[in-house]
Amino acid sequence: MMRKLTALGLVAGLLAVPAIAQTKIEFKEFDLDNGLHVIMHQDNTTPIVVTSVLYHVGSKNEQPDRTGFAHFFEHLMFEGSENIARGEYMNIIQSHGGTLNAYTSNDITYYYESLPSNELELALYMESERMLHSKVDQTGVDTQREVVKEEKRQSYDNRPYGSILIETLKRSYSEHPYRWAPIGSLDDLNAASIEEFQQFYKDFYVPNNATLTIAGDIDYKQTEEWVKKYFSEIPKGTKPIYRPDVTEPKKTAEIRDIVYDNIQIPAVIQAYNLPPKTDQDSYALSMLSTYLTGGNSSLMTKELVDKQQKALAISAIPLDLEDGGIFIMYGIVNMGVEPQDLETEIDKLIKQVQDEGVSDRDFEKLQNIMENSIVSGNSSMAGVAENLAEAHVIYKDTHYVNKVMDAYDKVKKEDLQRVANEYLTLDGRVVLYYLPKPAEPAQ
Amino acid sequence: MKKITISFVLSLLVSVVGFAQVDRSQFPKAGPAPVIKIGEAETFTLDNGLKVFVVENDKLPRVSFTLVLERDPLFEGDKAGLTGFIGEMMMAGTSNRSKEELDEEVDFIGAYLNAGSTSISASSLKKHQEKVLDLMADVLYNPIFPEAELEKLKKQALTGLATSKDDPGSISSKLSSALVYGKDHPYGEVQTEETLNNVSLDDVKNYYQTFFKPNIAYLAIVGDMSKAEAEKVVKKHFAAWERGDVPTFTYEEPKPASQNVVGLVDRSSSVQTVIDIAQPIDLTLGDEDYISSRVLNQIFGAGSSSRLFMNLREDKGYTYGAYSSFSADKLVGQFSANASVRTEVTDSAVYEFIYEINRLVEDGVTQDELDKAKANLSGSFGRSLESPATIANFALNIERYDLPKDYYETYLQKMNELTVADINKTADDLIDPDKLYITAVGNATEIKDKLEQFGTVTMYDNMGFPAKEMAAVDANLTVETVIENYIEAIGGKSAVGSIKSAKMVMDAEVMGQQLKIEQIFDNSAMRYAQNTLVGGNVMQSSRIKEGKGVVSGQGQSIDMTDEQVDAAKLDTYFLPEFYYETMGYTLTLDGIKDVEGTPAYKVIVATPLGASVNNYYSVESGLKIKSENPVSGDTFFSDYQEKNGVLIPMAQTIKSAMIPVPLEAKVTSLELNPELTEADFN
Repeated sequence: MMRKLTALGLVAGLLAVPAIAQTKIEFKEFDLDNGLHVIMHQDNTTPIVVTSVLYHVGSKNEQPDRTGFAHFFEHLMFEGSENIARGEYMNIIQSHGGTLNAYTSNDITYYYESLPSNELELALYMESERMLHSKVDQTGVDTQREVVKEEKRQSYDNRPYGSILIETLKRSYSEHPYRWAPIGSLDDLNAASIEEFQQFYKDFYVPNNATLTIAGDIDYKQTEEWVKKYFSEIPKGTKPIYRPDVTEPKKTAEIRDIVYDNIQIPAVIQAYNLPPKTDQDSYALSMLSTYLTGGNSSLMTKELVDKQQKALAISAIPLDLEDGGIFIMYGIVNMGVEPQDLETEIDKLIKQVQDEGVSDRDFEKLQNIMENSIVSGNSSMAGVAENLAEAHVIYKDTHYVNKVMDAYDKVKKEDLQRVANEYLTLDGRVVLYYLPKPAEPAQ
Repeated sequence: MKKITISFVLSLLVSVVGFAQVDRSQFPKAGPAPVIKIGEAETFTLDNGLKVFVVENDKLPRVSFTLVLERDPLFEGDKAGLTGFIGEMMMAGTSNRSKEELDEEVDFIGAYLNAGSTSISASSLKKHQEKVLDLMADVLYNPIFPEAELEKLKKQALTGLATSKDDPGSISSKLSSALVYGKDHPYGEVQTEETLNNVSLDDVKNYYQTFFKPNIAYLAIVGDMSKAEAEKVVKKHFAAWERGDVPTFTYEEPKPASQNVVGLVDRSSSVQTVIDIAQPIDLTLGDEDYISSRVLNQIFGAGSSSRLFMNLREDKGYTYGAYSSFSADKLVGQFSANASVRTEVTDSAVYEFIYEINRLVEDGVTQDELDKAKANLSGSFGRSLESPATIANFALNIERYDLPKDYYETYLQKMNELTVADINKTADDLIDPDKLYITAVGNATEIKDKLEQFGTVTMYDNMGFPAKEMAAVDANLTVETVIENYIEAIGGKSAVGSIKSAKMVMDAEVMGQQLKIEQIFDNSAMRYAQNTLVGGNVMQSSRIKEGKGVVSGQGQSIDMTDEQVDAAKLDTYFLPEFYYETMGYTLTLDGIKDVEGTPAYKVIVATPLGASVNNYYSVESGLKIKSENPVSGDTFFSDYQEKNGVLIPMAQTIKSAMIPVPLEAKVTSLELNPELTEADFN
């Protein structure tokens, strides 16, 4: 049902540049007394409206022996509420001509629905039901535990290379709760009591930890009235939101390991720790990853896939997180090539960027590509709503949606070389070889 | 003034109510249905006949250009596959730029450019539009069609064809197209190795010169561009494009079957059956029935709340998903209902499909289903309008299908006016439940007899051609005789029995890599060793000796279970037929089958522990031509040559789920009865 950022984020990460360049996004925002932050964006071109709630809770807010809770709630909160029958949430939205989705990351959980604009009141009602009194009971927990088990099997255990994120995070962090992935542990979910789930709901799914965004064919005044009507009565959380205050110690030695998986073709993974998402260096790192592997004419794709044919595919993805994420690079090895051989070539190209930087022409190309993707990121109401919510929650400034291009403009050509030297350091990185489990006997 | 005051008071009331207790037991009512405003496309035509549509949308500084050729469908005949090469050949370089330069220039401005046999499309940020139009026009005017590129594309197409021959989904779609449209129709013809190889560079050039003409082309421009600016840039880049006479084609209209018939393709390794129940229909975009056919399909089989899904998946659990479609087309459309189901429920699933089709035509739909389908389709129609490309498509469709100008403006209104009776009439008009093509791709031994209840079953091959008529097995022929004849055919009992061991090396190429398979057979001591090398490195190996087996790969070794050793032994004797009797295997003769055009006896060889392989022995020559192993895949044997008085196949084609393309292996070294040492098996 719901797409997961956890696995898909790996692929989508490259495009996840958050906001706009030239065309300014107008919006209005206000707070309710219970702490709910509301952002509205009016665009009457198409008679649709996107309604979303971003809860500022992800896997990093979990306890080490109760991992997977935030993601589990992403499922649980489709179970219904006091007024929405079990399993009906999706049917109601769909039979009113809408579609919906949700995802969970290490930092946030995001729910949204897109409906014809005359159904906005319904959307607000549905989200307020979810926030006020979601069904957190044993039946729901039992049902969704089975679904999550199946999901884990499909997306992580059975999918080739599906465990890359889990295995990489585990080794990239020793202290910070980023060391477990949003999917978490089924054992933890099995061990948790119903009271613990109910407590988690009371702790994190409260208006003072949520941002409601409405984007599309709306009337500002009417929308504000409906928001107040449905959300004002939701009580504020009673205690401060738990946010881990952990500084991940800098690694001084390389961590190297082998993972045997149900795959046919080996892969090489490298991961480097990154600064916090809001750090100015994030922009240079995002350009660097595009330089290395974005598109057919990127450095590594051209050299390792086309020319040397040592890799079938290669990708570099900055998984940028609130407290500092990781830069993951993975290469799928071509037939008959030793993983070691591919790794050597990858390292050579990283060294080349560290020593020589990038050319003027390549830098200009990167600026063009970034500009295009920033502009395109706001081509749908769903994209605009998500960018607005993220700007408020992560960048603490909704106006950030209109400042992304400025941030990229501040990056100088030399910064790419500098961040390559500063962050892609060999002594603190994680290197994993994914190797096939010996196959069934084949004659 | 008064009006304003009243509404102000009203809105105050609303907010007062808002702060009072909210009745949460009632869902909020929808507001009045929003007016769907569909931006109109502006249009103009150049002197050379190029018709241009402009949908201005300056929300974002982007612009896209889509050029579409409107030609009649093409029957490609002995060159089937030609049109599949055109797009990539157009993009393979121009007289001004090599392919690599073209790629780099497109990437440099963060743009997109692609071509197909009837289209070229490009998009970029507004500020790069001149550059992207330059590149687009260069591809349109100056393609150079390098010979090497065509060879590469042909090779890829041949690989794709080989893979599709074993892909149940591809087989199913070839079969139903062949039945619904006929093989002499553009929509029913298939590509073969022969037709792909027939395509020459001249054919590609000829196609380009014939069909890339402005007088059959539409150009849709969507994004940050006014009509005035569009006129300027289009003239600049496309006015020089010269018109030409483009041939037109007509085809006979395919007819439905005269009664329900069953087409079956035998794929004996299948554990699932792909079912497709299809019929040609007379349906074109803009027909009176068109909008109601969308609603009808939504109710019947478009999604996870439709009837087929609810019955075959949710209720019966036969399949992961069952769906239907009503395709609309100027020449001829198609109704199709399909699913992949477990082999053992094949007949039950067909029964449910037919039950649902009959129920739809006879009993019709309910008001509740209609309301939900309308809500669902209105929503997705509304959401689709968010993309400016949709508006351009609408404009194109109005032109291409000669629709009323307000067709899309009033689309939702027309849909919402549809009644239960309208939908039922459409079901009745479009579907004839007594003239269906019922197609199945699966294990014929298991399902053929069970399908007879739905209509006469005709066998087809994996390309959708009628399967060769296979004679029935002579009633006096036993499976033992087939094996004896085989042993006789390769040299006779004593010659075969004299071969006690062998060392064999095969070479193959897969995706540009050299692959070497070394095998050592020791029949008398029942020992076996196998190494697979890629680029000189051992990738995988296996050993069997003293009743135990080990498989190794990537530095790890795993012991085989007893069952795995038992299964492995089926293939680890050199000329294993000689040992079937002593091994206590059960042999079953399962008729005469068509193996790539050669009639062959199918023999099922089963071990006492339940493992099995299927062997195929040519009726004419007696030689073994194919073996199917559920673990390692299908192996085809050919190029039999005499060695030590025995005929040995020197070529093997291996198809397996583990490898992406069929492996063509040639025996490059063969030693019979060599000296073997313990080291050979370590």
